[in-house]
Amino acid sequence: MTEHRTSILSRMFVVLGFLFLIPCALAFQLIRINYVEGEGLRTLWTKQAIDEIPIPAQRGNIYDKNGTLLATNVADYQIALDPKIKGLTRDQINQLITKLGEVTNQPASEYRQKISDAPSRSRYVVLAKNLTGIQKDEIDLLGIKGVIIEENFRRKYTFGSLAAHSIGFVNHSMNGRTGIEAFYNDELNGEDGVQQVRKDPFNRVFEYVGAPKKLPTDGYSLHTTVDAYIQAILEDELKAGVEKHNANYGTGIIMDPNTGAILALANYPTFDPNFPGSSEDENRRNFAISDMVEPGSTFKLVTAIAAVEQNKVTFDEVFKTPEDGEKVIHGLTLRDHDPLGDIDFAEVIRQSSNIATAELAMRLDNDRFYQYARNLGFGTPTYVDIAGEESGRMAKPYDWSMVSLPWMSHGYELLSTPIQVTQAYAAFANDGMLMRPYIIERIEDNNGNVISEHEPVEIRRVAKKRTLQKLLPVFESVVSDSGTGDLAQVEGLRIAGKTGTAKKVVNGRYTSNYRGSFVGFFPVDNPKYVCFIMLDEPKPVGYGGYTAAPIFRQVAKRISGLDDDLRNQMILEPLAEQSEYQITPNLVGLTVYEAEEMAETMNLELSITGSAGLVQQQIPMPNDTLWAGNELKLTVANSFASSDTTSVKEGYARIPDVKGLSMRNAIALLRSTGFDIEKIGSGTVFTQFPKQDQIMKIGGKVTIRGKARSLETVTIAKLDK
Amino acid sequence: MIHTSPHNNLNNVLGTSPEDIDAGRQGSDRVLLMAIIMLMMFGVLAVYSSIAFFAESNDTSAFALVTRHVVKLAIAFFVMLIVSKINYHTLAKFSRIGMMISLLLLVAVLIFGTEQFGAKRWLNVGGFSFQPSTLATVALLLHVSVLLSEKQDYVKDFKKSFIPIMVWVTVTCGLIGIEDFSSAGILMGICLVMMFIGRISIIQMGSMVAVALLGGMLLLNQSANRQDRIEQYVEQIKNIETEEFLTGSGYQAQQAHIAIAKGELFGVGIGKSTQRDFLPAPYNDFIFAIIAEEYGFFGAMSLIVIFSLILIRGIVFIARKSEDTLGALLAVGCTLTIVLFGFVNASVASGLLPVTGLPMPFVSYGGTNMLFAGLMVGILLNISKHSKERRPFYA
Repeated sequence: MTEHRTSILSRMFVVLGFLFLIPCALAFQLIRINYVEGEGLRTLWTKQAIDEIPIPAQRGNIYDKNGTLLATNVADYQIALDPKIKGLTRDQINQLITKLGEVTNQPASEYRQKISDAPSRSRYVVLAKNLTGIQKDEIDLLGIKGVIIEENFRRKYTFGSLAAHSIGFVNHSMNGRTGIEAFYNDELNGEDGVQQVRKDPFNRVFEYVGAPKKLPTDGYSLHTTVDAYIQAILEDELKAGVEKHNANYGTGIIMDPNTGAILALANYPTFDPNFPGSSEDENRRNFAISDMVEPGSTFKLVTAIAAVEQNKVTFDEVFKTPEDGEKVIHGLTLRDHDPLGDIDFAEVIRQSSNIATAELAMRLDNDRFYQYARNLGFGTPTYVDIAGEESGRMAKPYDWSMVSLPWMSHGYELLSTPIQVTQAYAAFANDGMLMRPYIIERIEDNNGNVISEHEPVEIRRVAKKRTLQKLLPVFESVVSDSGTGDLAQVEGLRIAGKTGTAKKVVNGRYTSNYRGSFVGFFPVDNPKYVCFIMLDEPKPVGYGGYTAAPIFRQVAKRISGLDDDLRNQMILEPLAEQSEYQITPNLVGLTVYEAEEMAETMNLELSITGSAGLVQQQIPMPNDTLWAGNELKLTVANSFASSDTTSVKEGYARIPDVKGLSMRNAIALLRSTGFDIEKIGSGTVFTQFPKQDQIMKIGGKVTIRGKARSLETVTIAKLDK
Repeated sequence: MIHTSPHNNLNNVLGTSPEDIDAGRQGSDRVLLMAIIMLMMFGVLAVYSSIAFFAESNDTSAFALVTRHVVKLAIAFFVMLIVSKINYHTLAKFSRIGMMISLLLLVAVLIFGTEQFGAKRWLNVGGFSFQPSTLATVALLLHVSVLLSEKQDYVKDFKKSFIPIMVWVTVTCGLIGIEDFSSAGILMGICLVMMFIGRISIIQMGSMVAVALLGGMLLLNQSANRQDRIEQYVEQIKNIETEEFLTGSGYQAQQAHIAIAKGELFGVGIGKSTQRDFLPAPYNDFIFAIIAEEYGFFGAMSLIVIFSLILIRGIVFIARKSEDTLGALLAVGCTLTIVLFGFVNASVASGLLPVTGLPMPFVSYGGTNMLFAGLMVGILLNISKHSKERRPFYA
C-alpha cells in the first residue's frame, strides 16, 4: 500500500511540476507582449480606437474693391430623427412634424411619410435640410429627444450672378471649382483643426477625446479689384447688347491700364454661383479668359505699332486700295469690308482696311512682326489670377506660310483670348508698359492683418512712348472722326479704340458668322479704363463697330457718370454749348432709315414729310445751326429726278445731289436721270462736278469722286438688303 | 507507519462510517474558499466593465446583466456550500448511474439541442438552458476516480484497468467533442493525468498517446486546408504587432494582444477598457484580456496567482492529505478542471493557444458551467474536510 501511495504522490508532484510551467509561460508571454510587441500594438490601438476628425475652418470671404461682400458663408441646418430612441412618444413625433410643417410651409404628412418610409431598423431619418437658424431654433425649443440637428456651412454669393465668372463657385466639399474660388482655394480654405475622437466598431463617434488637438485656422479673405458698380454696369449693358443683336454670347472686360487691375469681367449668359448646377455648363464658362478666337481687326494695333516704330510708314502716305475692294495676295483674296479708295495711314486704321494693313505688315519681316505681337502679350497666357485661363495660339515665324504675315496683320491665323487683347490695349494706353492683369488686390486674415498685397507687375515695354503718342490720335479718330468705331462715341469723352470683326471658323472653314468686338480706352489724355466688348455671332449684322461699339459707348457713358474725375472733365468740355445748339449733318440723299439712325446717334429730333424714298431736302440746311428743342425737318420722296422738272428745258435735266450715296447708288441715280458718269475712287461719293441742282444737257458727264464710307452707312446698306 | 489524529480516533470510536452525511471532521479549506471568492469579485468587476456593449446591442443595461451574473454566482456559491456538506463517498456511489444519465443527455443534445453561437450544446429543460457536457464532465471525473481507486490492486492490468477506463473516457469525450472540441480535449487531458497519477502503466498510456499523436499528425497531413489554417495562424501571431487589423481568429488574437499591451504594468483603470468594443465576447472568452487591460500586468498576474493558489491548495493540501485514493484522485480531477479552464482561457487571450471559446471559471459571464464549477469546488471542500491533517492518506 505504501508503495502505491508513494507512487501516486510522486506522480502527483510530477504533474504539479509540469502544470506550474503554465503560469510561468503566461507571465513570460504577458511581459513579452508588453515589452517586445507593446509599442507596435499600442500604435495599432491608437490607429483603430482614436480617430481624428476635422474641425472645419471657415472659408474666407471675397470682397470688391470698396469692401462690399461678394462671397461669404452661411450656416444651414439639417433635422434628423432617431425614431427608435427610448422615451420618444408618438405625441412627441406628432408635435415635431407639425412644427416642422409650420416652419417650412410644407404639409406635415410629408414628414410623417419620411418616417414611415425609413427602413425599420434605421435610427437616423433625415427630415428636413437647408433650414435657417431661426427655423432650427423653433425645432430645438421643442426639446424632443431623438432630434438630431446638424450644422452645415454653405457658400453664399451675396449678389447672385454678379461677377459670377470672376468669383467662380465651390463644390459640395467647399473647394473652389472655377474662378478666384479655385485659383485661391488654399488661401480661402484655411486649415481644418483636429479633434481626437473614439469610434466604436461601426465607425460611429461616441466620445470626444480631450480638447481639440489643433484649432482650425480660418481661411484668408480676398479683396478683389472688382468694382461692383462697374461690374453691374458691364453686365447690364452686355446683356442688353447680346439680346439686341441676337448674339450667342457676349463677353466684356474692364481693366485699369495703369496697373492691370481688373475692374469688371463679365460674360452673358451668366449663372448663379449659389446654384451652379442649375445652369448650363456653357453659361459657367469664362469666355473672357478662355475663349480662343481670331481677334480680327483689333489686332491691327500690332501692325500699326510695328510699322510706325520701324518707320515703315509716314502719316501722309496714301494707300491706293483696289476699286473693287479686293486684292489677291499669293493666290488668296483679301477683301475690305467695302471699297475704300485712296486712303492715308490714319484712314487705314479708321476705316479698318485689311488690304492696306497687309501691305503695311509686308514691309516688315516675319520675325520683327512676330516679336511685336509677342511683346504685346499674344501667344502667352497673361497669368491673370483667375482659374481657367487659356494661352491663345500664335505660330512661330518658321512655321508661317507666305500669307501668314498679311493675314496675321489684320488678326487672322492666330488665336487670342479677350483678356490678351485687353492687355495689349492697356499697354497702349499705359504708354507702352505691358502690365500683368490681376484681380486680387489684398489678402487678409480674419483679424484684418494684411497677409499679402499685390504690387502692379510691369512685364515689359512693348513700344516707345513716342510711337504710341503718334498713334493715339489715329486710334482716337476711329471713334471721333467717322471711323468704324464712331458708334462708341460719348459726348465730351475722348475715347481711343478699334473695332474688330472676325469671320468665325466652324469645323475648319470660315463661315458667314462673325464675332464683333470693340476695344478702347478713355479718357485719352490720361487713360483710366480699358474696355473690351465682344459678341459671338451677332445677327443679322456682325460688324464690331455696329454691335460691340454701342455697348462700349453705353458702358463708358455710365462709368463716366460714376467717376467724379471723368464727370468733371466732361463738364469742362464744350458740352455746355453743345446742349444749346448742334451743327446739322447732311441727311440729303439718305434713306429714311439711314436718316433716322444718324439722327439717333446725334440725338436729333426729326420731323419727316413724305412717305418713302430718299431725303430730298432738309431744314436747316447741312452745316447750319440747329438750336436745342428744334426739329430737323426732312422732305422725303421717291426720286430726286422727279422733283421740280417743269422748269427744266426739254433735253436738259437737273443734276441730283449724289454726295453721301454709295458709288453704285450714285451711278444708278445719275444714269436714270440720263447723265454720263466719270468715276474717280470708290466707296462713298464725297464730291461731284458739276454741283447739284445745276441744269445740264442730258448725256453730259458728271464726275463723282468716291472715298470710304463710314461703317454705319455700310451697315445700314447691309441692313436694307 | 500509522499516525492517528485525535479526530480520527474520535470518529473511529464513535463508529461513524464515511458514507454518513458529512459532519465536518475538519473545517473546509478556507484558503480555497477565499481564492474562489476573489475570483468571483474579479469576475464581477470585469464583467461589469466589458458587458456594456453587449447590453446595448441587446437593449438592456449593463447593470441588469451584472445583477444576473451576481445571482448566478450566488447560486453557484450555494451549490458549492451544499455539495461541500455531502460526503464524496456518497457521490461516488452514484458515479455509474450519473455517467449513464450524462451519456444519454449528451446523445439527446445532439438530437434535441438548441444552437447558440454556432454550436449545439444546450438543452432546454423547463425554460432553463443547460449544457449536458458540464454534467458529463463532473460525472466522468467522479467515475474515473472511482474506477481507478477500485482497481488499484490490478491497476497495471491492460484489460481489466486500462481498457474499461479508456472506454468511458473516450466515449464521453467523443460525445462532448462532437460539438465542443476544446472542452473535450481538456477533459481528455485531465482524465489522462488522473490515470497517470492513478498508477496506470506508463507504457500503456505512452503507446496510446503515441498512437493518438500519430493519428492526429496523419489527419493534419491529409487535410491541406487545416494545415494552411494553422500556418496562417502562426504567421498572423508572428506579425501581430505590425500588421493591420487581421480578420477572423487573427483579428481576435490581435485585439486581445492590443488589450494586454495597452494595460502595461498597472492597467488603464477600472471600467476604462476600450478594447471591450473590439473584442468578441469580452465578458466571456476574452475576459482575461479585459482584465489585463484594466488592471495591467499585475492585475492579470494576480488572477493567475489565484489560479495557481487553487492548484497548490487542490493538489498539495487537499489531494495529498485526503483520506483515501478516491479522494486524492477526485481532488486532482476537480482542481485540474477549474485551474486548467482558467489557464487555457488566459493562454488563448494572450496568444499562447489558438482561439477557442472557453470560459474562465467564476470570472466569465456565467452560464450553467458556473453551477458545475461550484459543484466541483464543493466536492473539493468536502474532500478537504476529510483530510488527515497529520496523517496523509499514504502514511
